[in-house]
Amino acid sequence: MYYKNIKPYLLIFLFCSFIFACGKDNSVNTNYQNYYDKESGGRLINAMTGEPSNLIAMIAGDSASSAIANNIFNSLLKYDESLNYAPEIAESWSISSNQKTITFKIRKGLFWADGEKLTSNDVMFTWKLVTDPKTRTPYASDYQLVKKASAPDPFTFVVTYEESYAPALDTWTALHILPEHLLKNEDINSTYFSRKPVGSNYYKLDGWKSGQQVSLTSNPLSINGKANINNLISRIIPDTSSQFLELTADNIDLMNINPIQFQRVFPSRKDLRNKIGLYKELGNGYTYLGFNLKKEPFNDKRVRKALNFAIDKNEIIKGVLLGLGEPLSSPYKPGTRWNNTKLKPYPYDSIKALALLNEAGYKKNKDGFLEKNGKILQFEILTNQNKQREMTAVIIQRRLKEIGVDVSIRVIEWASFINQFIKTGDFDVVVLGWSLSLDPDQYNIWHSSQQEPGQFNFLGYKNKRVDSLLEKGRVELDISKREKIYHKFSDILLDDSPIVYLYAGYGLSAINKRVRGIMKPSPPAGIYHNSYDWFIPKILRRNEISDI
Amino acid sequence: MKKFIGNSLALAGLVIITTVLLAAIFAPIISPYDPNFIDIESILIAPTYSHIMGTDGLGRDVFSRMLYGAQISLLVGFVAVGISTGIGIILGSVAGFYRGWVDSFIMRIVDIMLSIPSFFLILAVIAFLTPSIWNIMIVIGLTSWMGVTRLVRAEFLSLKGREFVMASEAMGSSDIKIIVLHLLPNSMTPIIVSSVLGIASAVLVESGLSFLGLGVQAPTASWGNILTDGKEYIQFAWWLSLFPGLAILLTVLGYNLLGEGLRDILDPKNK
Amino acid sequence: MISYLIKRVLWMFPMLIGISLISFFIMHLAPGDVTSTEASFNPKSSEESRQKLREIYNLDKPVIVQYGLWIQRISKLDFGNSFSSHQRPVLWETKDKNGNITKGLIQEALPITLLINLLGITVIFSISIILGTLSAVKQNSWVDKSITLFVFIGFAIPGFWLALLLMYWTGVSNQWLPISGLHSLNYQNLTLFGQFTDLIKHLILPVFVSSLSGLAGISLYVRNGMLEILNQDFIVTARSKGLNEKKIVFVHALKNAILPLITIIGLSIPGLIGGSVISESIFAIPGMGKLFYDSVLMRDFPVIMGILTIGSVLTLIGNLIADLGYAWADPRIRKGITK
Repeated sequence: MYYKNIKPYLLIFLFCSFIFACGKDNSVNTNYQNYYDKESGGRLINAMTGEPSNLIAMIAGDSASSAIANNIFNSLLKYDESLNYAPEIAESWSISSNQKTITFKIRKGLFWADGEKLTSNDVMFTWKLVTDPKTRTPYASDYQLVKKASAPDPFTFVVTYEESYAPALDTWTALHILPEHLLKNEDINSTYFSRKPVGSNYYKLDGWKSGQQVSLTSNPLSINGKANINNLISRIIPDTSSQFLELTADNIDLMNINPIQFQRVFPSRKDLRNKIGLYKELGNGYTYLGFNLKKEPFNDKRVRKALNFAIDKNEIIKGVLLGLGEPLSSPYKPGTRWNNTKLKPYPYDSIKALALLNEAGYKKNKDGFLEKNGKILQFEILTNQNKQREMTAVIIQRRLKEIGVDVSIRVIEWASFINQFIKTGDFDVVVLGWSLSLDPDQYNIWHSSQQEPGQFNFLGYKNKRVDSLLEKGRVELDISKREKIYHKFSDILLDDSPIVYLYAGYGLSAINKRVRGIMKPSPPAGIYHNSYDWFIPKILRRNEISDI
Repeated sequence: MKKFIGNSLALAGLVIITTVLLAAIFAPIISPYDPNFIDIESILIAPTYSHIMGTDGLGRDVFSRMLYGAQISLLVGFVAVGISTGIGIILGSVAGFYRGWVDSFIMRIVDIMLSIPSFFLILAVIAFLTPSIWNIMIVIGLTSWMGVTRLVRAEFLSLKGREFVMASEAMGSSDIKIIVLHLLPNSMTPIIVSSVLGIASAVLVESGLSFLGLGVQAPTASWGNILTDGKEYIQFAWWLSLFPGLAILLTVLGYNLLGEGLRDILDPKNK
Repeated sequence: MISYLIKRVLWMFPMLIGISLISFFIMHLAPGDVTSTEASFNPKSSEESRQKLREIYNLDKPVIVQYGLWIQRISKLDFGNSFSSHQRPVLWETKDKNGNITKGLIQEALPITLLINLLGITVIFSISIILGTLSAVKQNSWVDKSITLFVFIGFAIPGFWLALLLMYWTGVSNQWLPISGLHSLNYQNLTLFGQFTDLIKHLILPVFVSSLSGLAGISLYVRNGMLEILNQDFIVTARSKGLNEKKIVFVHALKNAILPLITIIGLSIPGLIGGSVISESIFAIPGMGKLFYDSVLMRDFPVIMGILTIGSVLTLIGNLIADLGYAWADPRIRKGITK
């Protein structure tokens, strides 16, 4: 009858979806292995999980926005390949003898992408904007320290601080200079400029399909010269599994990958390795376990140190990051001058841990748990929804159980995490991360005055010596003296053990091999530092009329 | 019972559900490893003789986690449906028995709840209340009682005119007695069927929430979060997604077949 | 008919208030507010700036005052602007003094979700009617059983898992279909027909995955409806008169079995507007589900409230139309109403 044939079709259709075409050996284009000279043109497609919200970075505050905005805007200064200050909009700068005034000389002949001149007036305008109370920016505080700013002529910009401020130059690498002529009559908080920006850097906005993609095209008036790659396209793909499928299908050129993909998937797939290059570099952040210092028993240094000894950091790095991370002993990136190389992380030593806990009054009870005054040593590790942090907490839980500490884990969505637990101080122990700026100032995190709800010293750390070191470090401009101050600070912090440094993970990127000119090994400033110099040889480009 | 054996699909459903139930109940006995035992020396091992479903990203045995995950997934299903059926029976009985403005009021609430996309409601509440297994069960329960309410009310309306109810009323039985002794027992078929189907939906909702990171939280294993962990490595560590995926599929399928089978079997019209 | 219509429309108002109350107070279960996700935990931001944000957004006023202010604006169809730093209008586009048009969030997301779901519902209904009828005609045969099994498997398979498997199969190992997104990168340069086929190609997987889970409910509904009707007197009479079996099934019975589906369409509208967070995330489709999910995580109250309200209003209207359509299509009810 007429419907007889339907069933087999349905079944075939269904079962087809279970078939894995594993490791199909695509005959790889041999062109991928050749050497090519630099040539300009082409387009690079990358993927991001979230949509940029606002391309004015001081308003936006999300990483997707700054990733795009950094290609469009410039700051007065920048960091060079080895993380020294380098000129960008300012061609030079000088610091007064009392160390309170910085004079920036603006480069001549700079233009905005729309052809208008870029002068010190724009810089002045931007400073006024960022410090204006009506501007909804979370970044105002750094610039409010400037007591007086002026632009005496189109090529000079002068700022005077109340007292010398060591992180000052760092803050001027972060502030994107905005065009006065387009924004002077606009409300910065709601201006359409945030979706149609005009900048001065390598790229300018070409198109923005909301929720789908943001495309940039090279800016002929760029103050840094022309980038090799003509178009940068950022596709918005929220799910990382989908991103990875797109990468393996050759539809995107670049994405961040996770340790398992890096250590397990790629080594097992020759076809992927042939067309996709892997890059790793130490990220600008670290993960830690932090104690609520205002609570029993974490106000006891012996308990903190004991727990520090009882956590095996190498095991976490091996298990969670598959070896792609480094242990830490200070809140500074290994390899930078601020990191005190004399300090060593607490080794894993459960005997020492037990001894310290005994000293603090804890004895094993009959169930094998540590007990003091009839109360067993138990607490909750709180973390947010982050796979790696969850896994870290699980490993810590296991190790602490071995010495008789009863640990539970709670994973909370970010907004609730901050508001219900961090701001109220209602937590025992957290597993969280700090990202690091290049300046060593840690005043916001460790100074005892920074403990109000919503401030960053939510662990409640209070140490007079640390306070005075942090105050000194902020006003000391001499680099070697500063280095000593922060080395001492790290030393005290490590001994006090308010946090257990768990790891600094490597940032892992997978980039299609059609993209050339990537520095390997990556410079201190990171692989993306010279992305303007990357290029895609013509022969390796996608057919740009009809592809995908 | 004879009809049941005759209905091969319903029987298949029953077999699946019984297997899953047994697996969940005897998980501590069957499972070869502690589901939370971490072994970083054996991360992501493909299924072998010692790990029949392989290991996950922390070297935990997937088979053991699947067994304990069955407990969680079923617990979520049963409790959530318990809540929604409970609310549904109470509100439905009240509406169907007393009629009048109470009925209108309850049915308007039902309409209101039905017009708000339910997954949105669940999502918002779970995110705001922080995801814990209890919150998940309660919220799924609180957002899925409308169907049962309607069913119970409709049954009551059709039963109220029947002789045995009228007789009982004439004898002066209390309202509660009439509801509990006469009306409810005669409305059980649709309630049972919809509960069985409701468990299936709850299991699916939990896996959906896990996908969004709002499901049962680590280190507790649920099928939803094992599957979500596995989705990143669908091309590589296939066992991490295949087994939980199939488990969810089969369980939900089993409940559905069983539910539909029960409907056919218990439906007086089919007798 | 008219009085029925008026009564139905009047009923919508108390329901709207109920919906707005439920949604508004659910929002305030939330212990977080937008300032906690905005730039939070960047050591460079300060609490004063956060306090500032909170005041600007009226979050420091009591909940009941916030509700009052909100209802006042809603009645003017003003859903306000997103809390997020882009401050886009929630519902509809606005024009600034330079003539730049900023599109509304719902304005952009709703058509996408509607398109996918309308396609989905068309697929679901047409396949379900076929499958349901087959099942009913061949009751208890292997055809019936395999159809039942198939639609239940479709319902039971976790959507995101199936989606990823299909994406891998059709997009990576065989490059038949695009993996994610809504348009190709060169969409702008395509001919009108090219754009159309491009869009269709991108929609095949999302529509397939979302339809599969809907087949079970509808096809069983059709099956059971058909069974009931096939046993009814007029069909039995028709049979006894020796009418062609095909004609009986497809002309007389099917017509009557499909009729109640109109109400089902009304009921499926919340899902229609809601979209699927999961499939939109997987397929990178900027629809309502993704918008809602992001807003929840951001505690973006105006958007959350806007979506819940607009969604519910459209649902109510949809239900109304479905009911009226049913009343109009079914002569028995039509007569009943005019009486």
